[in-house]
Amino acid sequence: MNEPIMTDMRSEYSKSLIQLGKENPNVVVLGADTTDSLKTSGFGKEFPDRFFNVGIAEANLVTVSAGLAVSGKTSFASTYAIFLPGRAVDQIRNNIAYPSPPPGKKGLNVKLVTSHGGLSVGPDGGSHQTIEDIAIMRVIPNFRVFIPADTIAVSKLTRLMAREYGPFYMRMARSKTPLVHSESQEFQIGKGITLRDGSDCTIAACGITVRMALEAAESLQQEGISCRVLDMFSIKPIDHEILEKAARETGCIVTTEEHNIIGGMGSAVTESVSESYPVPIKRIGAQDMFGESARDKEVPLLLEKHGITSFNMAKQVKEIRSKKL
Amino acid sequence: MGLNYYQIKKNILRARKLVIKGTNIAGSGHPGGSFSMAEILGCLFNKHLKFDPNNPQWEDRDRLVLSKGHAAPGLFSNMAVAGYFPESEIDTLRKFGSKLQGHPDLKCPGVEFCGGSLGTGLSYSIGIALAAKIDSKNHHVYTIIGDGESDEGQVWEAAMTASKYKVDNLTAFLDRNFIQQDSYTEKIMPLDENLESLEISEMWKDASRWKTGDKWRSFGWNVIEIDGHRVEQIDAAITKANATKGVPTIIISRTIKGKSVEHMEDNPQWHGKAPDSDIVPIINLELDSQFMIAPSIIAGDMTNLENEIKRCVTGRADYIHLDVMDGQFVPTKTFDHNKIKELRPLTAIPFDTHLMITEPVKHVKDYVDAGSDIVTVHAEVTDESSFGEIHDILKQNQVGVGFSINPDTELPEWSYKFLKSLDQLIVMSVVPGKSGQKYIEETHEKMTRLNSILKQHNFSGYVEADGGVNLENIGSVFADGARAFVGGGAIIGQQDVRAAIRDFRNEVLKSRRYGLLAKANELGGSDLVNKWIGLHVIGEKQEQIKKIAQEAGYI
Repeated sequence: MNEPIMTDMRSEYSKSLIQLGKENPNVVVLGADTTDSLKTSGFGKEFPDRFFNVGIAEANLVTVSAGLAVSGKTSFASTYAIFLPGRAVDQIRNNIAYPSPPPGKKGLNVKLVTSHGGLSVGPDGGSHQTIEDIAIMRVIPNFRVFIPADTIAVSKLTRLMAREYGPFYMRMARSKTPLVHSESQEFQIGKGITLRDGSDCTIAACGITVRMALEAAESLQQEGISCRVLDMFSIKPIDHEILEKAARETGCIVTTEEHNIIGGMGSAVTESVSESYPVPIKRIGAQDMFGESARDKEVPLLLEKHGITSFNMAKQVKEIRSKKL
Repeated sequence: MGLNYYQIKKNILRARKLVIKGTNIAGSGHPGGSFSMAEILGCLFNKHLKFDPNNPQWEDRDRLVLSKGHAAPGLFSNMAVAGYFPESEIDTLRKFGSKLQGHPDLKCPGVEFCGGSLGTGLSYSIGIALAAKIDSKNHHVYTIIGDGESDEGQVWEAAMTASKYKVDNLTAFLDRNFIQQDSYTEKIMPLDENLESLEISEMWKDASRWKTGDKWRSFGWNVIEIDGHRVEQIDAAITKANATKGVPTIIISRTIKGKSVEHMEDNPQWHGKAPDSDIVPIINLELDSQFMIAPSIIAGDMTNLENEIKRCVTGRADYIHLDVMDGQFVPTKTFDHNKIKELRPLTAIPFDTHLMITEPVKHVKDYVDAGSDIVTVHAEVTDESSFGEIHDILKQNQVGVGFSINPDTELPEWSYKFLKSLDQLIVMSVVPGKSGQKYIEETHEKMTRLNSILKQHNFSGYVEADGGVNLENIGSVFADGARAFVGGGAIIGQQDVRAAIRDFRNEVLKSRRYGLLAKANELGGSDLVNKWIGLHVIGEKQEQIKKIAQEAGYI
């Protein structure tokens, strides 16, 4: 595979917000003392009246966003992933997801967009490496949950969230990520993307593991194994159709994510497939243990400790093929 | 515009009764916290809040956020009274399929906030207020927070945020009832200061020990501290808050949990418990037996009425009775509307203007403009047509409508049609014109006659006893059906007005307890009497009530 083009998700998010701000006067952006880091401060410079930095007060961040939303605003609230679902889950549930205004709306129009998701946060260590956010967010009714793989996904999903009414959670990575999508790629709620076709096995990936999955498929190709790769960026709702098809056509699935294997995308895939067309599944991800500090260059070592490498993906594909029904 | 005092009070009473009905049928719920904020909500719904029950989503409506969401029955009851849904729907409170959920929910049109998880309503209100500012809208956000709820750190995150963003289109109320689920707030997590002993009542009485206001002031808020059960104080505070620009305002309202029902008052047990069905009729009678004391300042120093007003204020009068005499309808002359206008700025306590003048229809507007909150005119100098005119002028100006009959006068038949919308009926128990007369004993008998007429014509106002009321007879006058008491020499003539009013209240309270015991005895004999007495667990009430019951032979 070619050397990847690395781009920055937070810069893309910032750019998208400013564009949305110009198009839609109802877009408001909120932060909690991480607005330079999240780069949402750019929106604040353009639209000072629609930008609110509430300080290091995540609970307040969430609830103020909800109040703005119930008054007709489209709220984007952002900080680090570890501090939103983990810290303010009560406010997320009771102030955003639960209130359902008439007629028939589900939840309030708040988009929680976080950065620094997963283990790849690196040097800040285990306290900052959230491996639970997907599990927390997907169990809350009315929320939709995305993990974009690259900046193209970030840009398109940010626009999608602004267009679609209701609560969303989107988690970005801290470091630059490799481009895996083309500019023309379409993103739809609840629709996975087949990035590479294959017939012997499927790797379902999300976030930074998508590129690894493609690399694994490439190496498996050398050994004569045809591996399908799905970008399951929409973790909730999950794409049952694409998963059932993958199960039928390839007979086994490996999932991979930088999240606890309990409750994450792998769990969502397993739940779906077990109800539609059960096949052997192997989940790669944090092995129900916390992360730890790793300097940027050492992040691959940290990921490797949890088996999040293209090498391990290829290995798991080969192993699980023997368990096919 | 007047305060609309009586209408507000009537609707507060209706709402309180619905809280009892709803929680009783539901078998659970939170009456205590609903009652401590009853006057606050009553004042908002009946005076200040802009809303349209037929169009709950009206864009320019004011927003009311009940952050202390467990007091949902209080909110729903006020909404029912305000016409959002029929009062009968309160029967569905907490039931499967009802829009009246256990905690406020957007499922019920008109509710602005899903409460239940404490500490979040203020942040939410800030969001609403900021949105209004972005959109250059003029609507106002009112938020009720609890004192137990103030344990939550998010309240203080919000306090800082509102201050930073100068959210002056938001007014918060702190329902400071000193009780949270486990016990008294100062025992669980002191908001004011740590208790040195277990004696909490001393702290409640000593306002200098209340520090909560300082906390909010240090967070940059405009702080107004009031008695949260005084309609006129709430009204004045809201007006002041709305006029304050550049900072958010919090109205710290000293309240009593379970206010208006003796066994619930200041009793942590009633944080979240429903009343039993056999007790409900007694509670309703108690709610119907609220009373007011109105000192009459002409019994004081006529050369310094300003000082008499001040004495009424320190004496904590419910309202102030102003006898206007013109020297024609009665031989004496006192003062007219010009004097009332002068006195008006001295206090927010409602002015109960009693016009003992001829041709009141010619002058009534002057008394409205002078700042009266209720104007009473005499049957002897009005007829159907002129009273109709007076009635309409007063109603239009949100001033209470009073009607008065002299000792020798029977209620004229033409007045029956007005009884339903009458706020006050003064039954004179002396011949008007001079102070210091004795209570005319025949009035007791007259009251019995009147009561059946009033009931028949759906009178829902206050009967005010005026003339010769004193500590010896006030209990029996209350038992006759009077609910407002003018005190001349017996109050204003005393050195210590506050003590005199307190004594008046205690006498009425005794009479009221006797009446409630009689009701309990009538409904369920000594078993119910004992059960009801047993509910009074705070302070010395139980012993006092037991004594009355024993004297009456109920137990």
